[in-house]
Amino acid sequence: MAEQTQGAVPLSAVIADAATGVALALRGEGGPYALSGILRHGDALTPAAVRVLGADALAPYAMEHRGAQAGPEDEAVVRQALAAYPPGADATEVSAWTYRGLVEASHAFLPAGAQPWPAPPEAGTGWVAQTPWPRLSHRVSQLAALALPGLAPGLAEQLAARTDDLSRGFVRAVRRRDWLQAAGLGRWLARLPDVAPTLGLDSGLAFVRQMGGADPRVTLHIVAAQRFHGRGW
Amino acid sequence: MTGGRGDPGLLDRMVRGSLGWLDEARGFFRLPPNVTTDADPNLTLKPLGELAELTQLIGVLHPRDEIRQSARGLFAFAWNETRDGELFAELIRGEPFATYPVELYATFAQAGLRHADADELVATTTRLRGWRVAREDHTRTLNVLNAERRLGLRQHADFAAVLALTGLGRLPEPWTLDRKAVYGLTHDVFHLTDWGRNRQRLSPEATGYLRLWLPSWLDTWLEEETWDLAGELLAVTATLPDAPYDAEAWQRLAAVQAADGSVPEIGAAPTSGDPAETFLACYHSTLVTAFAATLARIACDEAEAGPATGDPALVGGRTPCESESAP
Repeated sequence: MAEQTQGAVPLSAVIADAATGVALALRGEGGPYALSGILRHGDALTPAAVRVLGADALAPYAMEHRGAQAGPEDEAVVRQALAAYPPGADATEVSAWTYRGLVEASHAFLPAGAQPWPAPPEAGTGWVAQTPWPRLSHRVSQLAALALPGLAPGLAEQLAARTDDLSRGFVRAVRRRDWLQAAGLGRWLARLPDVAPTLGLDSGLAFVRQMGGADPRVTLHIVAAQRFHGRGW
Repeated sequence: MTGGRGDPGLLDRMVRGSLGWLDEARGFFRLPPNVTTDADPNLTLKPLGELAELTQLIGVLHPRDEIRQSARGLFAFAWNETRDGELFAELIRGEPFATYPVELYATFAQAGLRHADADELVATTTRLRGWRVAREDHTRTLNVLNAERRLGLRQHADFAAVLALTGLGRLPEPWTLDRKAVYGLTHDVFHLTDWGRNRQRLSPEATGYLRLWLPSWLDTWLEEETWDLAGELLAVTATLPDAPYDAEAWQRLAAVQAADGSVPEIGAAPTSGDPAETFLACYHSTLVTAFAATLARIACDEAEAGPATGDPALVGGRTPCESESAP
């Protein structure tokens, strides 16, 4: 998606603000969460921002003790994003999976409305076993929102077989000071069983948050790992 | 990183190339007349000591006879440069409390090369209480302890207790290791295993840790083009039981080895055409390449032979006095 501007506000800033709002909600701060409160229906950049955040736009609704139920406005925001940015026939695995993640999250975390949600598009997992670990790690970090509980169980199962490789990717990402990649991988590792204790995942998540927390998306991943999987401190 | 038998042809070409370049570079390893007075030891004694340490190992352990012969030639050259050990007596008289002359001398002593005056001096200085005061660098202390063992001296501290203070003892979070820490960790392994001769000394915890995290460190330092460190990590990889063979990493290292056999330490080799500059930029990483390819070659042979019982390929080179010194 090309960088668009709305007045003087670029898409990246809209996404950053929304990520901040989601992370606040996951920490139980900032009042009851409403997606349409942080990304307004009708704002030109809202569909793109929702598409980029993917399932994370709905992450606060996945909490057991959430402050608010999603309403029609929130649902409308999601429907608009799904309609605006469907993955094309030549979509990358990442694009297909992030779209699928938003659809799955809508099914799981939003009330069933009058209209049915679109069926989740097919997204393959063959690449998980075949991709060398550095590239696999980068790709999986881009799917961090799918680490929300219950989403993409088939993908999670495949990734569990690559836990050591993803852990190596986490090490590599931290060494490269690629905090967003490290946070995304750390979040997936928080969901996967049998992460090697010598990785130091809990302290690693805390470290990445301290070092890379200037990026709200980094903070969002770390907060989500803690909120949903109890990892990090 | 995949298991498997590796590529003996590639590994042998790399060792031959490295030793060939080192042989041509003998002139730069020669010690100047002022070596015991005001010459910079980092430009004189350190290169010669590394040459001796690694060619001694290759000369004993490499499976190919012609490679062993050429390594032995370099080792003999190095001993000759010490004037059959007289150098060590002079160095110790000059700096009686420094560890480096003892560490250097021990490299030759392990091969049975001794000098009577140096032996007497070492026996005196290493018996002092002052010798037993803890040093700042625990990894380096492991080398001092190995030197004492090689010289048949009483070790001034407990090897296992010192090891416990190092990276290999602590097994830090793998994402915390900067360049200095990785160098330290590789040398912890080299000192513990006596440069791969006694690989069974690696604990199962250390083995598991290294097997898991070496691929990420290798990737990082290959990408940084820190070739000597990548070579050291490949050497450590080859010390693991049922050693994995990282074909891609070896190919990347092979690709930076020049036609003359040299491997630059970092990035590209200097282009000034100044042979002295080229020597300093390449000698360490070229030696490391020969060493790592030798250990990897031994691991290839073991994979070929099937599961090893003990370390059959290394029996001939196993450290003497092992029973006294194993932690």
